[in-house]
Amino acid sequence: MWRRHLLIAPVVLFLAVLLVVPYVNMVRMSFLVKPPGERYLNVFTLDNYARVLRDGFYWRILANTVWYAVLTTALTLVLGYPLAYAIARAPNRRRPLLLMLLIAPLLVGVVIRAYGWLILLGRVGLVNELLRALGRQPVELMYNVTGMTIGLVHVFMPFMALSIAGALQNISPDVERAARSLGASPWKTFWRVTWPLSLPGVFAGMLLVFVLAVSSYVIPILLGGNNVLVIPMLVVQLLLDAFNWPVGSALAMVFFGLTAILLWGYVKLMNRALRWSLR
Amino acid sequence: MASIRLHELTKRFGRVVAVNRLSLEIREGELITLLGPSGCGKTTTLRIIGGFEHPDGGEVFFGDRAVTGLPPERRDIGIVFQNYALFPHLTVNENVAFGLDVRGVPRTEIAARVAAILDKVQLGGLGGRYPHQLSGGQQQRTALARALVINPQVLLLDEPLANLDAKLREEMRFYIRHLQREFGITTVYVTHDQAEAMVLADRIVVLRDGVLQQLGAPDELYRRPRSAWVADFIGLSNFIRGTAAVHDGRLTVRTAVGTFQTSGGAAGDGARDVLVVLRPEALHFGGDHPNRLAGIVRERAFLGNLLDYRIECAPELVLRVQADPSRRHEPGERVELSFAADDAWTVPAAEAA
Repeated sequence: MWRRHLLIAPVVLFLAVLLVVPYVNMVRMSFLVKPPGERYLNVFTLDNYARVLRDGFYWRILANTVWYAVLTTALTLVLGYPLAYAIARAPNRRRPLLLMLLIAPLLVGVVIRAYGWLILLGRVGLVNELLRALGRQPVELMYNVTGMTIGLVHVFMPFMALSIAGALQNISPDVERAARSLGASPWKTFWRVTWPLSLPGVFAGMLLVFVLAVSSYVIPILLGGNNVLVIPMLVVQLLLDAFNWPVGSALAMVFFGLTAILLWGYVKLMNRALRWSLR
Repeated sequence: MASIRLHELTKRFGRVVAVNRLSLEIREGELITLLGPSGCGKTTTLRIIGGFEHPDGGEVFFGDRAVTGLPPERRDIGIVFQNYALFPHLTVNENVAFGLDVRGVPRTEIAARVAAILDKVQLGGLGGRYPHQLSGGQQQRTALARALVINPQVLLLDEPLANLDAKLREEMRFYIRHLQREFGITTVYVTHDQAEAMVLADRIVVLRDGVLQQLGAPDELYRRPRSAWVADFIGLSNFIRGTAAVHDGRLTVRTAVGTFQTSGGAAGDGARDVLVVLRPEALHFGGDHPNRLAGIVRERAFLGNLLDYRIECAPELVLRVQADPSRRHEPGERVELSFAADDAWTVPAAEAA
């Protein structure tokens, strides 16, 4: 028995040193006093939390951050579902290729892809040059919410599509045939059979994309520029620019806590909706 | 209820011809099985009847109505699949109600009809369960109830018993037959199991490589197969090669192990090179039938109700004989065999290979 536990010792050690210890340290930091001109004092206080929770500015940014993540999740769902459907229903021979194409963008780093969008969406990018050539006004696609959302949707699409495609592939074609035989049109068959049966994948994909989007940092910085502010950016600013480790840590903790509560409620609802799949 | 007529049905997948100019008439209220080895086109034929595949050529009629171009939901069919294909996210009640619900049947009527059919298939009281909470047999009966509750014109069954264990499978054969008679519904039943086809079918359609080999009642197929392939596929057969001739109005076949009188078959069509088809139970030890031959017992196996012998009558001619276990013959023993002319049938030798 203990031998088996021994096998996971390296990974436990790895996570303890690189994840748990920094986390615990951050929790501790969020309760320490920040005197002007010094990093912190080893004195317990709740002031940092009070500052974060009382400041309307933080709440507004928090609301924005969650809203961007919800928007990204919704858009990846709307765009990713048909994509997942096409992949799941493709002939067996062609499916591996399609899956590879879906995953291929993940082989390129996020930063590089963000610069790719720059070439397309920038003030002198492909889109605006095209508009200019057609005699139209250029549009602002970069360094705002639009640019950031385009980037986020692009980066997280594979996660959504993969998770839905997996669920769709688990649906036996005979189940859909049975619905048709019973008098359901293709449209009705989709909404009453295929869609509910794909919900496990939809819910998993939404969870994944939301978590990734709400905590994303690089894309908002590169594509949102100075016109977009999200909590992860704010935390980094507090920690590195303002050098205020205690308040930065407290903000991170509040953000973490609220997101966790949100996800807990989500998982509860999800389990209720998927009662039929629980064995 | 409606009869089903298939006219010159053809379906290709790439270069493979899955169904080849299949014409067939299934009478109102009849249960017909499509029988054949895997890849013979039986499931494709069923799917074409159901509207799940579109034929490359030919027509499908339900009664006088041409349904070839109609999608499944407008054909008025009930179908049961090998894996049952129940809706896993719906309870038994909701599964069975599905067809009525999409047809817009009023709620109170749905409840009554669902309850009635669940009682009929002995699932009363299980309506609130999800499919994964049911045994294989219960899932099977739910699928039958779901297909039958809409009173379809035609019932299609695609190897519905293949996933059940042997004992339950045997029970369900009779149960399905009973249910089908009670509803009087025209039924197409796909199977690769010839015993199942024998028990269930009014008539059997034997398919091979998409081509109809023979169509007939089970005993007709067993006693009067049209080819060596059909004789071999349905039940056990012994084949003895020979030359046919007519003697005194009887079809006689001269073979290496004797000259035998037969009841007819291919020889009647004028073929000269024929195979005599002898079922294992047609051969008797001793006996006073006019057709006689001798051999040596090589092997014997106990089947419970029968003893299964392999008897070498000539080099390369080993006959299988199944006989009453009350009289035993030992391996190595020399035995005399006889059979009646009525139990001997002939098929053309040409395509025997």
